[in-house]
Amino acid sequence: MESYDYLIIGGGAAGTAAAETIRQTDQSGSVAIVSDEIHPLYSRVMLSKPNFFLGKIPFDTVFMKGEQWYAENRVAFLGGKSATALDGAKKVVTLSDGTELQYGKLLLALGVSARQWTVAGAGRYGVHYLRTLDQAKGIIDHIKTAKKAIIIGGGFIGFEMADMLRLAGLEVTMILRERYFWEPLLDEPSGRMVEAALVKGGVAIIREMEVAEVLGGDAVSGVRLKDGRELSCDMIMCGIGVYSPIDWLEHSGIQHAHGIIADEYLATSIPDVWTAGDVAEYRDILLDEMLESGNWVNAREQGRVAALNMMGQRTKFSFVSFYTTVGMGITITFVDDVRPGPDRIVIPRGSPELGSYVRMLIVGKELVGATLINRTNEMSSISKLIDHNVDVSEKHKELGDPNFDLKSLITN
Amino acid sequence: MANIQEYSRNRTDSKIAKIVVDRDLCIGAASCIAVAGATFELDGENKAIVIKPDGMNAADDDTLMLAAQSCPTKAILLYDKEGKQLFP
Repeated sequence: MESYDYLIIGGGAAGTAAAETIRQTDQSGSVAIVSDEIHPLYSRVMLSKPNFFLGKIPFDTVFMKGEQWYAENRVAFLGGKSATALDGAKKVVTLSDGTELQYGKLLLALGVSARQWTVAGAGRYGVHYLRTLDQAKGIIDHIKTAKKAIIIGGGFIGFEMADMLRLAGLEVTMILRERYFWEPLLDEPSGRMVEAALVKGGVAIIREMEVAEVLGGDAVSGVRLKDGRELSCDMIMCGIGVYSPIDWLEHSGIQHAHGIIADEYLATSIPDVWTAGDVAEYRDILLDEMLESGNWVNAREQGRVAALNMMGQRTKFSFVSFYTTVGMGITITFVDDVRPGPDRIVIPRGSPELGSYVRMLIVGKELVGATLINRTNEMSSISKLIDHNVDVSEKHKELGDPNFDLKSLITN
Repeated sequence: MANIQEYSRNRTDSKIAKIVVDRDLCIGAASCIAVAGATFELDGENKAIVIKPDGMNAADDDTLMLAAQSCPTKAILLYDKEGKQLFP
């Protein structure tokens, strides 16, 4: 049986950052990355950006590592294979081709997968998801001939795809199950601001509606809505959320909920097994909550910290996560934990009428997160207020004043 | 014509003499800010800029290199005193 000192399942941002970090310290330990994709590390962030889709950036820019990087750093890349079983007692992982690999330390950096649409007819040609490079290639190919697209779901993918499809000259209709865009992570005024930008950009929005059936032969020709209306289209983009691909871990006994449960060191419930990236459901020490963060920077940072701990250090993962996107003349930013909840105090800053609007979410005395529309320049200050655990209990009035300089509240 | 912004650096303990942000590539993912928050911030167009007046000298070489490496579009380029590209 082949054996690796460090075995990494997942070749994305988290897994590759871990391999990189291990090599910076440990030159002799053997390292392998198992990836269900055949590509070396590429930028998943770029996959949803219009400049990439429309060929304004050379396609190869998407690759973050060339094949030579793996050779030079003696990282074995086992591409096109997935893991199918984990035996934590014997320290063995089984792969989809039947190979068994022995490990010293194991990292589960599985990422998350695009949730599949289960509506009747969803298997027809022309129904797209956006998670992998190959899926992106399929969309790039299809927009050259497609005329009318329907987007299912309002979130980052829906927003960025709407922008890209409009720039590509398609007619675009977005179908939301919710009352407004990105309910409940955005509040209604923020959601309406995004909707106004989408509508101004030529996107038709249908709210509180679902598709009953995807129409067509081999290829999509339209959808029938639950109210009986039929809309024609030749392309459908599904952005309806993600799930953790952890079915194969069921027999391992690893503790999991929505993702793989980890402590603040990113260690899982099985000895010598760590997790990092989108699939990790970890204890956030800044917020003192269990959190899953799905973004590139967070994944890289978790991969780095998990690798340090795999090499015997005791480094806690502590990081204020954020994500920002721009399109249709509007900018949306999420900082850290934006989940709604009855324990959150929400302080509005600015207003839709002013064209820029922030919601600051507070639990107890401290900020835990924020949503920002057209106010990205305050992202850094808000992140620092969260990172430094600043007591804002006496500062609600200042936080709500759009002319008040948030930087002045940052303590060291 | 590339839409780039250059920032010269004058730290004596540093090999990196120039930071360049390619504004066409930058998508405002803000990974550089997560890694080197004393150096980078986003401007009103959601593009990374170096903080005035002295952000270009705020971080050591290791931090800057990590920031450039973390960028998902490789929009940050680093050069030494001789103009040799250090990253990417």
